[in-house]
Amino acid sequence: MANNNKVVIIGANGTMGAGAGCVLAGGGYSVTLLARTCEKAALGFADAQNDARAEAIAERLSVGAYDSDLGRTVGDAAIVFESLAEDLPLKRQFFELIDNSRRPDTIVASGSSGLSIAEMARGRSDSFRRNFLGVHLFNPPQVIVGTEVIPGPDTDPAVVKGVVAMLTKRLGRKVIVSKDMPAFVGNRVGFKVLNETAQLAAEHGVAFIDYLIGPHTGRAMAPLATIDLVGWDVHKAIVNNVHDNCEDEAHESFAMPAYMNAALHKGCLGDKTPERGGFYRRAGKQVFVLDPKTGRHENYQKPAPIEFVEKMKQLHRVGRYGEALKILAEAGGADADLCRRVVLGYVSYALNRVGEVAASSDDVDTIMSYGFNWAPPTAIVDLLGAKNTVAMLQKLKLTVPAVVERAAASGARMFSGGILEYGRTFVG
Amino acid sequence: MTKPAPVYVLGGAQTDFARNWSKEGKHFVAAMREATLGALEATRIEPREVETAHVGNFAAELYARQGHIGAFFLEIDPAFSGLPTSRHEAACASGSIALIAASADIEAARYDLACVVGVEQMKTVNSTVGGDILGTAAWYEREAKGIEFPFPKLFGRLGDEYDKRYGLKDEHLAHISAVNYSNAKRNPNAQTRNWFMSESHAQHESKFNQLIGGRIKVSDCSQVTDGSVALFLASEKFAGAWAKRNGKTLADIPRILGWGHHTAPLEFDTKVAESRDNAYVLPHTRQAILDAFKRAGIASVAELSGIETHDCFTTSEYMAIDHFGITRPGESWKAIEEGVIELGGKLPINPSGGLIGAGHPVGATGVRQMLDCYRQITDSAGDYQVEGAKKFAMLNLGGSATTSCAFIVGK
Repeated sequence: MANNNKVVIIGANGTMGAGAGCVLAGGGYSVTLLARTCEKAALGFADAQNDARAEAIAERLSVGAYDSDLGRTVGDAAIVFESLAEDLPLKRQFFELIDNSRRPDTIVASGSSGLSIAEMARGRSDSFRRNFLGVHLFNPPQVIVGTEVIPGPDTDPAVVKGVVAMLTKRLGRKVIVSKDMPAFVGNRVGFKVLNETAQLAAEHGVAFIDYLIGPHTGRAMAPLATIDLVGWDVHKAIVNNVHDNCEDEAHESFAMPAYMNAALHKGCLGDKTPERGGFYRRAGKQVFVLDPKTGRHENYQKPAPIEFVEKMKQLHRVGRYGEALKILAEAGGADADLCRRVVLGYVSYALNRVGEVAASSDDVDTIMSYGFNWAPPTAIVDLLGAKNTVAMLQKLKLTVPAVVERAAASGARMFSGGILEYGRTFVG
Repeated sequence: MTKPAPVYVLGGAQTDFARNWSKEGKHFVAAMREATLGALEATRIEPREVETAHVGNFAAELYARQGHIGAFFLEIDPAFSGLPTSRHEAACASGSIALIAASADIEAARYDLACVVGVEQMKTVNSTVGGDILGTAAWYEREAKGIEFPFPKLFGRLGDEYDKRYGLKDEHLAHISAVNYSNAKRNPNAQTRNWFMSESHAQHESKFNQLIGGRIKVSDCSQVTDGSVALFLASEKFAGAWAKRNGKTLADIPRILGWGHHTAPLEFDTKVAESRDNAYVLPHTRQAILDAFKRAGIASVAELSGIETHDCFTTSEYMAIDHFGITRPGESWKAIEEGVIELGGKLPINPSGGLIGAGHPVGATGVRQMLDCYRQITDSAGDYQVEGAKKFAMLNLGGSATTSCAFIVGK
């Protein structure tokens, strides 16, 4: 198998399937894109060409349909990558088919963004379970390089090692190994913050929250706009999965806001339903914003500037990130309190996952920085100062993660890189 | 030429060339700041030790409506207040001119430690406006005004001139592109490290790989890039003390062994007319390389471990191959076919990915090439390390090879 270069993608007509096809073909693999029909697989083929911005990627791609081609292509593949909808019974049904056709050493990876890897592998053959693991790519995979590898209970450590090396060296990914817990590391931490901002929008309004917790707080995109991009259905599936299956210090932050459930019911899925919109709806050049109180979209009005936010943006603009965070730490008023609560809540929740779902604070940093394009939580600690961070967390009655306590005691810097690694995550 | 005082290279840092600083809502000073603070950290040099700064930048006036770029160095650290700073411009060779000016300061014993920063923020404008701004690196009124993307066309004509004199196959140019993209995948700061490229994509004109100037396709071009690079040049006195405190000896520290700097007439037609009876299409570029060899005491290109060259377009790398003397004039294709220029080849060119793969933030490119030479000589180039590199050369060009700067770095 060492020289086998063949990959099969199941569910290749979806965004993530086609994107994975683009990434794997870019790394030199010969990729078969499978879907229900060849016509559907051809859509994934066209998407992969567009993602790669190269028609020549076609040389490394072929298409097929499950009925006619799954057995044959899986029987010949080194790697099978599953990218079906987040539907456990559906996935399990396909894994059974794959188990029947695969070679004993074929690696099977699920692209799930947070379902149980153990559940997916349950009932499969020994050799399947040894060679099965999660490979969580973020959307769009050809742009966002953060990747989580999630071993199941029976995954061979050598398989994990080999897949991590392949993703890192051959595909240029930034990889962490996460535990098999709901939403893994990236989405657990990321959607805690996203859903918390959605909850806050019920009281404070969408435009205001996206301004207050905007890119100046260390993220490429404002949080509610991010949920629109992700899709409200995906958002709901992720937060419900964590809410139903995890008991932790931020349990209530994963409760889906009632106004979002109501809008979802009416078919508001965010950017993928442009006519209904999500938090935002666009009609030509006009932008409308959801009023959580009424459920209606109103004319977007730019929130009135807040002094400390504008100061932070100006400082980020000239690369003075530490001074910007000092402004955040010291600003007075209810708005600043709210902003601090979300930012410090992120630091607390993210770093409290170390030793639980994440192996190290470096891993949390890597996935938040390269999966979400958010400031690495330890970089925020370093910029605020670990002792000061502890004091701020205590004042906000947020859990002080053990790793932050240790840094405050030792005076050691937490972030493993420097300004060149975290600078891009603070937006002016 | 009398032998001047040695100039040591102490290392530095660069920004990730994949970043779009306009999208990040940032001014170019943020890039200068990150690169310089990164360089200080990488070299463990204290801000108060820096005595002068030379900034290479091509066109901040046009890209960001800002002149007086040298003064922005003071925005990086309060300890820099009062430092003598200057900005240097020679189009895409601006970074090299800053290096030469800083070297002259060290050679003349005016200062013991100079910071050299290259910076360009190009994504402030769309590609058409950007192409027009780049046109000012040529004789704008005569060669660029009213012409869409003038530079691909000028370097397409360099290919045409080779074709006329010696014959040129586009498949060799495509291979240059594929090698640079492939090397860039090993460079964590390369602009294109996650882009798709294959030999076949580079070979063929297609929807995603259109002709944009004569025989030049998109895959033959370096791309619009934002970025900054900072490094330190030092006298023997400073380098010796710095080596000691870092547990090294002076012999461990790379030096600029030689340099060459020639300027050719601005207009491409004049250059070509001038070289009509010369075996080399760009004799001034050839002379800059020979000067660097001579100053470094190098008899031939065979003494080099690798080259970082100016591949703003595949044709400029094609030119560099014979102008460095790797092949006889007009026979660059032989080195390409024999795999000489590839990582693992006899004389790797652009292990970093070069301008095509790593990126080309115009005013920063020369400084980036010098930093990569430093990385190669100190065995710190990571996945794009040329094994056992002893002497590395760089060639940086401004305009249509109007300004040519070459350096040799080694211990």
